[in-house]
Amino acid sequence: MPAARGAFFAGVRLALSGPAFYVALSLMGVGSLARAAGFPVGAAALSTILLWAGPAQLLFFGAAAAKTAPPAIALAVSLSSVRLLPMCLSVLPMLREKKTRLPTMFAAAHFVAVTVWAESLRRLPDMERPARKPFFFGLALTCMGLTAFSTALGFWLMGSLPKPLGAGLMMLSPIYFLATTARAARSGADWLAILFGALLAPLTMAYVGGGFDLLVLALVGGGAAWFAGFKARRAA
Amino acid sequence: MTLFSGEPASAPYLALVVIGFLPSEIWRALAVLIARRIDEESEVFLFVRSVATALLVGVVAKIVFAPNPELSVAPAWVRLGAIGAGAAAFFAARRSVFAMIVAGEATLILAVWLLGK
Repeated sequence: MPAARGAFFAGVRLALSGPAFYVALSLMGVGSLARAAGFPVGAAALSTILLWAGPAQLLFFGAAAAKTAPPAIALAVSLSSVRLLPMCLSVLPMLREKKTRLPTMFAAAHFVAVTVWAESLRRLPDMERPARKPFFFGLALTCMGLTAFSTALGFWLMGSLPKPLGAGLMMLSPIYFLATTARAARSGADWLAILFGALLAPLTMAYVGGGFDLLVLALVGGGAAWFAGFKARRAA
Repeated sequence: MTLFSGEPASAPYLALVVIGFLPSEIWRALAVLIARRIDEESEVFLFVRSVATALLVGVVAKIVFAPNPELSVAPAWVRLGAIGAGAAAFFAARRSVFAMIVAGEATLILAVWLLGK
């Protein structure tokens, strides 16, 4: 099927025109985080292939480094990934054809994360339906492949860089995720959640034990932010 | 000092799959199985969104407030300054992620270098 191959490489080309490098650079810091948390390089690269969600990876390695209890890590990672559900739901219907098998849909769903999702929403609607799937997989595989490589690169660079650059590499993912979180903020409740999270962090770190400080912070801070938004919506 | 000292070599991979991959993948799998559209504006989703947002900020705060050895060469005021400079650039450039990364990273790297650490 030369048409499908053409669509696949159109996806590869689009990825290499920017998006793949952007997500690859942003997840380099995850590699250095993984190393700091005591994980091997294989686990760092594999986290990109298996989780394919920067915030979840940041949470996983960040929480592991902070000796968070495993059930709390699992819950935190899961909470951070709830957004994947509506994201998948908005992309998958565009890919589905009459004879598309379920495993193909599960595979496609696995590749949905911010970068691939945004580019898919932008490009897929204008494409012929048979071209969409190969295009999607070309785009997604290129982004993921390059990012798995850069995650490993971040892991190896950590420790061999001059100190200022090593510190910069460690700071890359926290800054990037703070920026994307702020970028994604749509309502006052979102901004409150960011504010409460920042204000509560020193308190929960000091007073909540057992590695559950992140969960308490998220539920109290996020819950309060949601409640404020709920009250505001009711009053409106 | 590592999390897995004394564990079999497969332990970190097992941890990655069980407390990383599965809890996150469940939402993608659910999306495939759910036929109808989920309402992104329902209160449950708004609640989860707020919790997830606070959670992410919490992780960032932990990395900034309780840094590992590589990052701790930057004093606390430099780490917070880098976040502040990044945030200023973010809003000045009309909510640009790229501007925040460049400004934040430049501030941190330059400050550590100037301090001669």
